[in-house]
Amino acid sequence: MHLLNWLRQTITFSYRSYLFAKRNLFFLFELFFWPIIGVISLGLMSRFLALNQEMMSFILTGIITMNVLQITQLDVSYSLFYDIWSKSVKHTFSTPISVSNVIIGGWLFGILRGFVIYAILTIISLYMFNFRIPTITTMLIFLCGTFLSALLVGICVCVLILLFGQRAEAVAWALSPLLMLICGVYYPVTIFPPILQTVAYLIPLTYFLEYFRASYIVTTNNTTGTMLQRGFTLTIIYLLLFYFCLILVVRHARKTGLFLRLSE
Amino acid sequence: MDSIIIAENLYKTYRKKFPYHYEIRALQNVSLTINRGEFVGILGPNGAGKTTLLSILSLQLLPDAGKLILFGKNTHSSDNRELKYKINISSGNPNFPWCLTVREILIFYGKLYGLYGKKLKSRVDECIQLFQLEELADRRYENLSTGGKQRIALAKVIINQPEVLFLDEPTVGLDPNIARQIRKQICQLHQQQKTTIVLTTHYMKEVEELCQRIYFIKNGKIIATGTPEEIKKLTQKDDMEDAFIELAKTDNNV
Repeated sequence: MHLLNWLRQTITFSYRSYLFAKRNLFFLFELFFWPIIGVISLGLMSRFLALNQEMMSFILTGIITMNVLQITQLDVSYSLFYDIWSKSVKHTFSTPISVSNVIIGGWLFGILRGFVIYAILTIISLYMFNFRIPTITTMLIFLCGTFLSALLVGICVCVLILLFGQRAEAVAWALSPLLMLICGVYYPVTIFPPILQTVAYLIPLTYFLEYFRASYIVTTNNTTGTMLQRGFTLTIIYLLLFYFCLILVVRHARKTGLFLRLSE
Repeated sequence: MDSIIIAENLYKTYRKKFPYHYEIRALQNVSLTINRGEFVGILGPNGAGKTTLLSILSLQLLPDAGKLILFGKNTHSSDNRELKYKINISSGNPNFPWCLTVREILIFYGKLYGLYGKKLKSRVDECIQLFQLEELADRRYENLSTGGKQRIALAKVIINQPEVLFLDEPTVGLDPNIARQIRKQICQLHQQQKTTIVLTTHYMKEVEELCQRIYFIKNGKIIATGTPEEIKKLTQKDDMEDAFIELAKTDNNV
């Protein structure tokens, strides 16, 4: 009964995200305009540089991943932002929910939006730039890793918001591109100096990107099995760690009265 | 009498270190008891600590020290999620998601309180009817008047049929006609459903009309308690507004 109630409360947040997305034109721009512009411009640049099909696919994978990561993690962050922007944080958190309902509810809707944008960008890349599509299994595993990475980024944004208030809002739009820069958005991380490579290999998304790209270009010594094992192990460790931090900052916010201040 | 809320020696200080240092002692050694079915008013001048006290009692804010017992459970050690099913809070300046309609807002909060299916639908319809929101039911929150916003705040507050209601200045900024209607609806709630109500307000008419007992708070301390009549007698004033002004001047316990 508890689990059923938790699921219902979580889906309630997903449904709220859907209503917000449906009624705000901004979300359509966010979902279609910028990602499509990004893929087309990079595809055309790759064509101008006369890159072969593998290299072009390598670069397009970067931009597609960045958009899927950004869209999905934004929905996690938005689930908290909707209450902050409408100044209803205290009403939401005075109900018998846990912060996991808010986060997972937003994430589920983010996965839906992530799938949509992944499909659209892949189809555009396929027809316009002859993008190489790996097997369905590879795609699904890669998407699963990307969605989990988006959940991590989203939780991280929420932790910062609950620590520093609305001042930290900009992080929601900055964190994913920064992460992608380190994970090797348009290049393999092997081009980095050793210290930065170490940092890159502490981020699970690096492994998921390498795994996906290994289907057409091998840029690493890791085997696909090792990449997935390391990627998912790190994801689980970070999820536990970040969720624990989230619980702590929620308690901290109740102590400092941040929920009340965000509702004024 | 069955005590539903027992607060013992509550302390709360707001601190900030960056970019400038400040420290506000919002509550100092506050103790109170509220019985089941009582209508209690928390009064005091601006910045006295009323909202802080109400926020702690409604589990939105954690005290620095002291003990809060709700429904016989120590809120520090028990799972407060279960307690939250039994309470609800409304504030004077209500804010809800701007692009949701009145009905959607009630459905959203109803679901968070564990209502589903036919039960949720009938409860939402009841709340809409009770606060005469029929014509506004499909209007977005951003398009409501102040009175409409206040009425949906009150409709939301009873969606889970709470045993205890916390109302923070429910009629602030409303015209006398709507304020009177809302007072009437609050009064009906208390009388018909025997809901325990804790109210903060600056309108003494509201206090005299609704409250059975008053806690007067100043500088974070409770300085007087009693029925409105007792408070008037205590301050030797015939009018509740004069009694309020008299108490607001006082520094010590009365």
